[in-house]
Amino acid sequence: MKPSRSAVKTLGLQPAIAWSDRPIIEAHNLTKVYRLGEHQSLRGTLTTLTGGHRERHTIRALNDVSFSVARGDCFGIVGANGSGKSTLLQVISQITVPTAGHAIVRGRVLPLLAVGTGFHPELTGRENVVLFGTVLGFARRAILERMDEIIDFAEIGSHIDTPLKRYSSGMQARLSFAVAMLFPAPISIFDEVLAVTDDEFTTRCLRSIESIVSDGRTAIFVSHDASLVRRLCTRVMWMEHGEVCLVGPTAEVLDAYHSAHA
Amino acid sequence: MASVKSSVDRDDRRAPDADALWHDIGLELRLEPVKTRIRLDNIAAMLPVVRVLAVRDFKAKFKQSVLGPIWIFLQPLALLAAFLVGFRSVATIKTSGVPYVVFVLIAIGAWTYFQASLSMGAVSLVTNAQLMQRTACPRLAFPVAALIANLPSLAVPLVAGLVAAAVTGELSLRVLLLPLGVLWLLVATAGVVMLTSALNVRYRDLLAVLPLTLQLGVFFSPIGYQAADLPGVARTLIGLNPLAGVMETWRWMILPIHPPDSGLIALSLAMTAVLVLAGWFVFTRSEPTMADVV
Repeated sequence: MKPSRSAVKTLGLQPAIAWSDRPIIEAHNLTKVYRLGEHQSLRGTLTTLTGGHRERHTIRALNDVSFSVARGDCFGIVGANGSGKSTLLQVISQITVPTAGHAIVRGRVLPLLAVGTGFHPELTGRENVVLFGTVLGFARRAILERMDEIIDFAEIGSHIDTPLKRYSSGMQARLSFAVAMLFPAPISIFDEVLAVTDDEFTTRCLRSIESIVSDGRTAIFVSHDASLVRRLCTRVMWMEHGEVCLVGPTAEVLDAYHSAHA
Repeated sequence: MASVKSSVDRDDRRAPDADALWHDIGLELRLEPVKTRIRLDNIAAMLPVVRVLAVRDFKAKFKQSVLGPIWIFLQPLALLAAFLVGFRSVATIKTSGVPYVVFVLIAIGAWTYFQASLSMGAVSLVTNAQLMQRTACPRLAFPVAALIANLPSLAVPLVAGLVAAAVTGELSLRVLLLPLGVLWLLVATAGVVMLTSALNVRYRDLLAVLPLTLQLGVFFSPIGYQAADLPGVARTLIGLNPLAGVMETWRWMILPIHPPDSGLIALSLAMTAVLVLAGWFVFTRSEPTMADVV
């Protein structure tokens, strides 16, 4: 994944704490401000062009968010719609940049922020797997080597050479999940991706996420389904209105979250 | 990205076993507010993405179309017919003794490529909004992929023009310089596509301006005529259109005719430089937050 600010290879100088013992993600006062409104109005544009001061409607999607994720954690994020979860994941995945604050990420991030993302309806399943895998930053050869495993995991079978537009939404979800599961990255992010799959596939995905974590990799898991979060996550962060309400062990945070929303 | 980071990236891409990606030992990315994220040395790292996107765009362009890639031949052919009927039949056009078909075909190669690349490239970021909002893939790969996916629209009429010139015995030895001429077209098109695709993310007004500009462009480019036949200063000022310089240069490189007006060429080269710099500046400045506004 290309866009990044800087990378420091800890060669030569021995840091006080070993690189691998540091948190895999550190967020320091992350703030993200969006300008509201799809378009600026013509009047607004003219005012700006003529040098006038224009009132700006903005929204703080993230406000001074600080937390850290340890290597090998399954880190859950809960919160209502609009609490800033997705924006936070976009910043961590380098999809967008923060307005203030900074984050340090020690490893590549593999974001699965929506199922079927970037799949092209006119291309076959196979062509789409190559496309999606490459866009995520994987080498063509690694993708082709894993093609059979992906087809198996997604239970697509011979449909892999059918244009994607003939797929059901469940098939699309299974395919994109399979791509994410079979390309291991140090940090995998799952944002509400299990909402459209059936129970049997969901169970299999949960097992895969568990195996990611038991392999020592790190997962960030966002779901509205508290029982999934409870089952998977070791630590949970509860967000509200772009701010962190509570970070801690899963049971503690979820109990507080539920009593606040009861 | 510091060069350290991109070397990490490239090593990873070559890793035969994807499992090697798990660790990224020592990798430490600092994500903070920045004005630009793209550096020139990232361009090599984005080539695999450009490749898949270009293949996708080329394939998708002709899916569910009966004639498919035959359109790459029909489009310039239709344009050629239009010039033969609509231009040649009503006015006498000086071609320095070169058959009119050859004369027009060469310029059509530049035009169809520019037109096809711009049509696809200007909307490339908007049509890939989903990918931009869900993955950190290099944003510059989208407009660049449009430039690559449309290369057949350049090759087909240009090769036809070269063959026609050779068959009619009009091929000049200067044709050896043609790669430079082609490079000029690619660079100019890249500048316009970077500029328009980035602007289109924020200002969709461009979608209204674009078809109009392309329609006018057919007339303000010396496709069916040569710039030397324009009256007065127009013969130099048409150089404001960088394609004018490209077309006049191509003709001079391929056919045994007089060199084009040097003022026109200088103006076109200057415009190309301006477009590329503006395109790079606007694109790299808007790139970090493109996913927010698209």
